[in-house]
Amino acid sequence: MNEIYYLILLPLVGGLLGLLINRLRSELNFLGFFLTLFFAVRFFIASRTQIISFSLISFAGIDFRFYVDSLTGLIILFNAVFAFLIWLYSLKAVSKNPRERFYYIYIALALSAANGIVLSGNLIFLLIFWNLLVFSLYGLLLVGKKDSSFAARKAVIIIGVSDFIMMLGIVMLFVKAGNANMPLSPRIQLTSSWFIASYILIMVGAIAKAGSMPLHSWIPESSKVVPASTMAYIPASLDKLLGIYLLTRISYFVFDISGSLPIRLLLMIIGAVTIIAAVGMALVQKETMRLLSFHAVSQVGYMVLGIGTGIPVGIAGGLFHMLNNAIYKACLFLSAGSVEYRTKTTKLDQLGGLGTRMPITLFAFFIASLAISGVPPLNGFFSKWMVYQGIIKFGKESNLWPIFLIAATFGSVLTLASFLKLVHSLFLGERPRALDKVREARFEMVVPSLLLALLCIVFGIFAYRIPLSNLIFPSIPFRVNGIGFWSPILATILILVGIILGLIVFMFGTALKPKRKQIFIGGEVLEPEEISITGPNFYSSLHNLDLLEKTYQFGEGGAFDFFNYLVGIASGLAIIFKDVINRILVGIYKGIGRIISGLGGFISLLHNGELYNYVGWIFLGGIIILLILVF
Amino acid sequence: MIGFDFFVDKFGIFLTILFGFIGLMSFIYGLATMREKGHRLEYYLMLLLLVGSGIGIALTYNLLLMFIFWEISTFAIWRAVAYYRADQDLSAGDLSFILNFGAATIMLLGLLMIYLDNGTFNIFQIRVINNTAAIFVLIGILTKSVTVPLHIWLAPAYRTVPSAIGGCLAGIGENLGVIVFMRLFVTGTFFSASFFNTVAWIAIASSIIAGGIALRSDNLRNLLAFSTISQIGFILLAFAVGGTFGVVGGMLYILAHALAKSGLFYGVGIVEDSTGSDNLKNISCLLRASPTLAVAMAFLVGSIVGFFPMIGFFSKLNVIIGAVEHSAVFGAGAIIAAVFTLLYSTRFYHELFFGDKCESKKIKFKRPSYTGITVVFILALVSLLCGIFFYKPMSFLLAGGM
Repeated sequence: MNEIYYLILLPLVGGLLGLLINRLRSELNFLGFFLTLFFAVRFFIASRTQIISFSLISFAGIDFRFYVDSLTGLIILFNAVFAFLIWLYSLKAVSKNPRERFYYIYIALALSAANGIVLSGNLIFLLIFWNLLVFSLYGLLLVGKKDSSFAARKAVIIIGVSDFIMMLGIVMLFVKAGNANMPLSPRIQLTSSWFIASYILIMVGAIAKAGSMPLHSWIPESSKVVPASTMAYIPASLDKLLGIYLLTRISYFVFDISGSLPIRLLLMIIGAVTIIAAVGMALVQKETMRLLSFHAVSQVGYMVLGIGTGIPVGIAGGLFHMLNNAIYKACLFLSAGSVEYRTKTTKLDQLGGLGTRMPITLFAFFIASLAISGVPPLNGFFSKWMVYQGIIKFGKESNLWPIFLIAATFGSVLTLASFLKLVHSLFLGERPRALDKVREARFEMVVPSLLLALLCIVFGIFAYRIPLSNLIFPSIPFRVNGIGFWSPILATILILVGIILGLIVFMFGTALKPKRKQIFIGGEVLEPEEISITGPNFYSSLHNLDLLEKTYQFGEGGAFDFFNYLVGIASGLAIIFKDVINRILVGIYKGIGRIISGLGGFISLLHNGELYNYVGWIFLGGIIILLILVF
Repeated sequence: MIGFDFFVDKFGIFLTILFGFIGLMSFIYGLATMREKGHRLEYYLMLLLLVGSGIGIALTYNLLLMFIFWEISTFAIWRAVAYYRADQDLSAGDLSFILNFGAATIMLLGLLMIYLDNGTFNIFQIRVINNTAAIFVLIGILTKSVTVPLHIWLAPAYRTVPSAIGGCLAGIGENLGVIVFMRLFVTGTFFSASFFNTVAWIAIASSIIAGGIALRSDNLRNLLAFSTISQIGFILLAFAVGGTFGVVGGMLYILAHALAKSGLFYGVGIVEDSTGSDNLKNISCLLRASPTLAVAMAFLVGSIVGFFPMIGFFSKLNVIIGAVEHSAVFGAGAIIAAVFTLLYSTRFYHELFFGDKCESKKIKFKRPSYTGITVVFILALVSLLCGIFFYKPMSFLLAGGM
């Protein structure tokens, strides 16, 4: 299968040649990305009907092999699609960045690594590409709007730590099971504590890549300093695809978690907490990119929740949500990036009323907002609905299911609420005077966001016919039942309740604000923005509720940030090591040195150079020898 | 008792090529940086003695011959550390000499005990090693291959050694102990598991403690010294757990660490010469001043941490497989040490090359010699190539036949 090599090498070759021959960069990059897309489509079609598996090299019991089934084909296709669209968008969006040259090589490297991850049929082989992705992520984050070195360092530490954890898990699997092939037959049941530990360690790596809590904090951090296209590419689409891909692979192809309730509950709890906590943080953000980045975290919760149910429809829903999320989240980041490109700001209180100026961007952004909030008939609705179905069916196994259901619904409510705020503050409301000259974004930037928005609609309206039966169902090793539309009433009601509640939260936010009135202030003229309702403050009343205020303060202060704890613990240990242990050791050595030199000093005292002293010693020695000889 | 007792196996070839390469790089770097320094004859002599003793230890099977090379290397390190002959140089040199020589004397006692028990110094004919002898030899090994708590001499030594020879010290001198450990203890099958377990625990503790100290070090050379101690811990752990993956992982780790650390040493030497400071607090934003150096150092730091396109990834992976084969707890310990490595390495790199308001800051940076940067770049490139074609060195070592 030569396509496998093409898929891994073509983007990299295109990127490298583009880096070397700067004059032809765009053309060479285009060739690289376009050919990859072409082969990805062919590959996708081929993967529908056959399973390909072959070994590259094999030594020391490690089988470096490729494995391709329909799940592989699906992820490969979307990797290539996203990379191509992001490349198109970046042509204009990143063109003013001084490090533009290096930006594309990292985009290409990330695509190569992502394809490699998906194609590899062995977890150790996968780890290689997984590491390569860290490398490209680091480089990509360094190409920032402003100094992004701290964000890059934070990302590389968090991802690096989770990679090491995952490496330990994979090695444990490899050592005990004899190989780390993927899929593994027979699948490993989670009965012994060794394998449970191994599964959990690999799982940590997978959900950290997807951006689930508590290993998410690099995403909001970098959202402030890197271009929107970087955010749309890595955390919003590629990382979701890869993390959830790996989670599915290890949960149902290598291990078998359907037999182990505690593990599934663990996954679902992680999912539920992620949904609620991240969306709560998103609600009070005052900056576009940061707000979106918290949603990028929050949505992972649904996927993890769906996959954790162990119910076919839930798993399918989780995978479908992964796909949908990648589509609408990339669309959101890209359109928000277009707004930033034209207005040069991401602060919500400086934006507003851009709807008439940027109608296509508004359209794309609005569609994607509705999709992420789960409004029918868009794609986000169907995947969420399938996840709900999964949770309800999960009710047969555990009584905890209402909690997950409430978390999922509540998350949906808050998502809708926060997107109403976002749409309002970007496109509706008063337009600040500074933005009067804003035009629609450039063609290259509008096209990708528009395409993605259309995909949201297509995947929604024809959910069953196009994505589900062609993309999702063939990719999981189960038969999915119970997809009759609208029949399970509970899930549908919950979705509608979610939408209504979201609107109520929105009303609640606006109702607490005074409406605009004519104000008389002694003849002074006020700017419109000084008297209008600004979107960013919709939910500041929420922020100020006593109960939540403390939590928000903690959250903004970094209390939920794994990075802070890691660095804190490590620095604490380092202080103990350096200032206690090392100091004591040095003290001991110095003490020994002192004792020896003291001894030397004592002996040198005896040699004072006076004759009678030495004569005395000679006599003393003679007496001792005599005594020994006599007795 | 002693003769021309050399033999060549795959490990020997591997180490010889590696040490020869490190020595060559050190020589080329020295051509550029040692030109204006005095008594260069001594520098060349010590460099060659260090490389020669390393190759000698890698290729001999006679313990007495091994000990002679060992003492030659001790001598070379002593003179190299005290090269500049200021008071602090002399005291650092004396410290390293006294500790290494003292430990070597204890080690000699252990070797004699082995001789008395077996009637031979030939490591292939040794059948028993009693516990006292093993501990005596181990003291020598842990002092030369600096391991906590016998690590005290390394940081002062690194601070005073000329960077041209420091790369050799890091790439060759520090590895000699673990090589003897591998030759004497691991290749034989006659030893108690509790001994190896103890050594593995010492290695992990040493690696974690040194990693923590490196995280708190502001002095560049101190940081490198404790980083070396931390990495040597991984190598020692690999040999202590043994098995195919352990031994191959340890050898790969020697390769990865020797390339990366000597490269970093030269890089730090360039930074010191160009900025006139050796403290992380005083240096920042070098990315703008020297992008080439930044790229090369990124590869080297990546190799130390263990990220893929570099050989450091495979050495770490193999060591961890070896450790987990023995016990999952060792694996977890190695992971904690690796996390410390990640933390101090990223801190080191970012404080050097990035910083606050780099765009507007005026950076004091004298243009370094091309030769120096080229050497750093070659070492980075070799790390990268070894990583991409990892199966070459790995299958070479696997064929070594334990």
